[in-house]
Amino acid sequence: MGAAGSKLEKALGDQFPEGERYFGLENFGNTCYCNSVLQALYFCVPFREQLLQYYTSTKSPSDADENLLTCLADLFSQICSQKKKTGVIAPKRFVQRVKKENELFRSYMHQDAHEFLNFLLNELVEILEKESRATKSSPETSSSEKSVNGPINGLANGTKIEPLVTWVHKNFQGILTNETRCLRCETVTARDETFLDLSLDIEQNSSITSCLKNFSSTETLNAEDKFFCDKCCSLQEAQKRMKIKKPPHILVIHLKRFKYIEQLSRYKKLSYRVVFPLELKLSNTMEDADSEYTLFAVVVHVGSGPNHGHYVSLVKSHNHWLFFDDENVEMVDESAMQTFFGSSQEYTSNTDHGYILFYESVSTIGTS
Amino acid sequence: MIHSSGNGMMSSSAASSSVGNSQSPGLKTYFKTPEGRYKLHFEKTHPAGLLHYAHGKAVTQVTLAQLKEKPAQLPPTPTGSSSASGVRSAAARLLGGGNGSRALSFVGGNGASKAVAGSSRIGSMGVSSSSGSALCSNYDGKGTFLIFNVGDTVYISDFNSQDKDPIKSIHFSNSNPVCHAFDADAKDGHDLLIGLNSGDVYSVSLRQQLQDVGKKLVGAQHYNRDGSVNSSRCTSVAWAPEGDGAFVVTHADGNLYVYEKGKDGTADSSFPVIKDQTQFSVAHARSSKSNPVSRWHICQGSINSISFSADGAYIATVGRDGYLRVFDYSKEQLICGVKSYYGALLCCAWSMDGKYILTGGEDDLVQVWSMDERKVVAWGEGHNSWVSGVSFDPFWSSPTSEGDVESVMYRFGSVGQDTQLLLWDLVMDELVVPLRRPSGGSPTFSTGSQSAHWDTLTPVGTLQPAPSMRDVPKLSPLVAHRVHNEPLSDLIFTQESVLTACREGHIKIWMRPAHCENQSSSSENVLSNSLKEKPLLSSKVGSYKQ
Repeated sequence: MGAAGSKLEKALGDQFPEGERYFGLENFGNTCYCNSVLQALYFCVPFREQLLQYYTSTKSPSDADENLLTCLADLFSQICSQKKKTGVIAPKRFVQRVKKENELFRSYMHQDAHEFLNFLLNELVEILEKESRATKSSPETSSSEKSVNGPINGLANGTKIEPLVTWVHKNFQGILTNETRCLRCETVTARDETFLDLSLDIEQNSSITSCLKNFSSTETLNAEDKFFCDKCCSLQEAQKRMKIKKPPHILVIHLKRFKYIEQLSRYKKLSYRVVFPLELKLSNTMEDADSEYTLFAVVVHVGSGPNHGHYVSLVKSHNHWLFFDDENVEMVDESAMQTFFGSSQEYTSNTDHGYILFYESVSTIGTS
Repeated sequence: MIHSSGNGMMSSSAASSSVGNSQSPGLKTYFKTPEGRYKLHFEKTHPAGLLHYAHGKAVTQVTLAQLKEKPAQLPPTPTGSSSASGVRSAAARLLGGGNGSRALSFVGGNGASKAVAGSSRIGSMGVSSSSGSALCSNYDGKGTFLIFNVGDTVYISDFNSQDKDPIKSIHFSNSNPVCHAFDADAKDGHDLLIGLNSGDVYSVSLRQQLQDVGKKLVGAQHYNRDGSVNSSRCTSVAWAPEGDGAFVVTHADGNLYVYEKGKDGTADSSFPVIKDQTQFSVAHARSSKSNPVSRWHICQGSINSISFSADGAYIATVGRDGYLRVFDYSKEQLICGVKSYYGALLCCAWSMDGKYILTGGEDDLVQVWSMDERKVVAWGEGHNSWVSGVSFDPFWSSPTSEGDVESVMYRFGSVGQDTQLLLWDLVMDELVVPLRRPSGGSPTFSTGSQSAHWDTLTPVGTLQPAPSMRDVPKLSPLVAHRVHNEPLSDLIFTQESVLTACREGHIKIWMRPAHCENQSSSSENVLSNSLKEKPLLSSKVGSYKQ
């Protein structure tokens, strides 16, 4: 491992970014789903910084207080305080904690990286909310001032209490508006919902842009699937579409590569070729300007089926792309990205496919 | 070998449908346009068993090359009789400057290739496939050839034969060929450029390759040997129109080099270190014996494609940084440019009259840039993935134009990684800028606070930022047709057909409606019609000095 580390150091030479650490993560038996997501999150700089800030601001927690958040913060701080610039770290406590919290991840089976990311982010949010309630400070005075992007309001029809906006929310949360237009009375019903990532249906030989367009395209509700219009007081045909009301700072896009095939009554991996650009804009937003993003991490699923395989990740750090495969870290050229787009043929030897994409809003780069 | 007996014009549609079904299940063998059906005429591909991926895969690009009669007489002066010059201009249009210097160019973009004979030969396409091969057996005569790269090989197919397989393959042992260009007007025989993944570039005589039975390049002049000048990947090669044997090579590190054909580059070819990677700079070789003669540092990251305007005055580049840049070629100056909506740009092409540039890229958009207005005048929305090839159709004549300059209509095409060929009509009258929000202010009065907003849309600077989605008029495609099963990489318009190529090296030739329906007599009519209806274009293109 020392040799591999020095190889990376040699490759970067004096371009090795100051203060940055590139550490592989040990695999404890099919924990690559976890390692690949952890690397993407570690190199999500605003998230990492806020997590480390949280870590230093909280008193060193006793073992009784240990939770997923403290374990993650502990791991990140362990990585960034390493004396060496490269090497391998064993995220043992974190992985144990994950297995303790969720029985889904307890087995040594192949797990879904997206499910893990989802679980992790929601867990972090829950812990932060719990802490905030425990300190009994009102939501307004806690860490959640109004978000930089303007006020967040009208969440979930305002039926709930004003939700707390944690720093996890500030990084990952966006708001979708689900607009339904009754085709009889033309009344538009808008319902907001928050999201931490977007799960997109994919098609063969398409682009992320096209998948996002389909996500926001108008869908007609009819036949079995009519819409109950409050004004008409009856089931009516309606048109439904999703708009992004507030784009998140970190846009996480999950490609639905694992599809349930009813005829086979099992999941199948779609190896479709879906190209993703290094820069992206969301134009289906309700905001004035088109929000612009750059790609900084890709979690890649390696393998031909949903129940086995491997996860690796590609991460951009200080304008270099790095390839993380559990313990191993290598530098790769930006043009290597195209080998992870997928295949235009159904049967193919290429099984390395982009699965979760992490884009960062351009406006937040540089401020962090 | 599925079939190959060219049995005359009657069979062309039947043959093409069988071709289509055998190669591409689920794909239609025709597509409809307002002017009629385009039918799959035949396909060209490489022998499947003989693929060499020693250096990894390479995306297939296609060059269409026309060889003239062998005794390479000096071309006549342009003071010919009126009929002769008329035909010459038609040939010029036939050869289409629009594709410029793309790897998929029809004879290097420099239209005036005196392809009179060539056009009559194309007219006989589908009638005389057997005579075609006979004629080409010693390759002394004229002929039209498709040059395309797959893996480590450059293949050459006889364009006028229905034979699917190439007639010649050239292997490269050291690196993959990735781009090529042909100049029908080459004076000393070297008319074909081939750029390699290793950065090396060769110029050769196409005829000499055809006459040689081996599988190696023969009689080649080697430039940038072993990457001595630049070791990054070649991305594009192009002959400078009217450039007297000058050609340009672009590389993946953002540099463009100007070479002179036939000049040995043994002298010191080093250039000063680039001080600012973000700035455009031109450096000339220190020694007059050096080849390349100059280096243009254009951008950070790869230059993905280049295109010369038909008259050779301008060169357009697109690249990884998303910018279209237009340079005055002889003055070596940056004239204007614009950033894509987002992501890299992958392809570009000029209109025949030099007024518009098409670009396509990773934002799935086909962008139309106006040289007169210095702005993006339209975004074509219709591809479901990246746009990998664009071209104006130089043979399209608007049914309504009749000399009315105001409603000039252009036809253009695009191919994408969504496997689709899209055809578009550009009618300037119909391009309406979407309604501006009241807060946006009026574009004509840039006073007070409103100007700030407008200035960001049309800045005075040379390179403009990406326009906003709501500020650019949108076009919808006339036709969208899935033509291959693989992502597409290239597109060529010829007088009688449209060629599409996929990344894996399959090429399909789609006959235009007039030629599908009445192959024997139509070509002459189209030629004369187009001459009548587009006096502007033909006179412009026809004015080349020979």
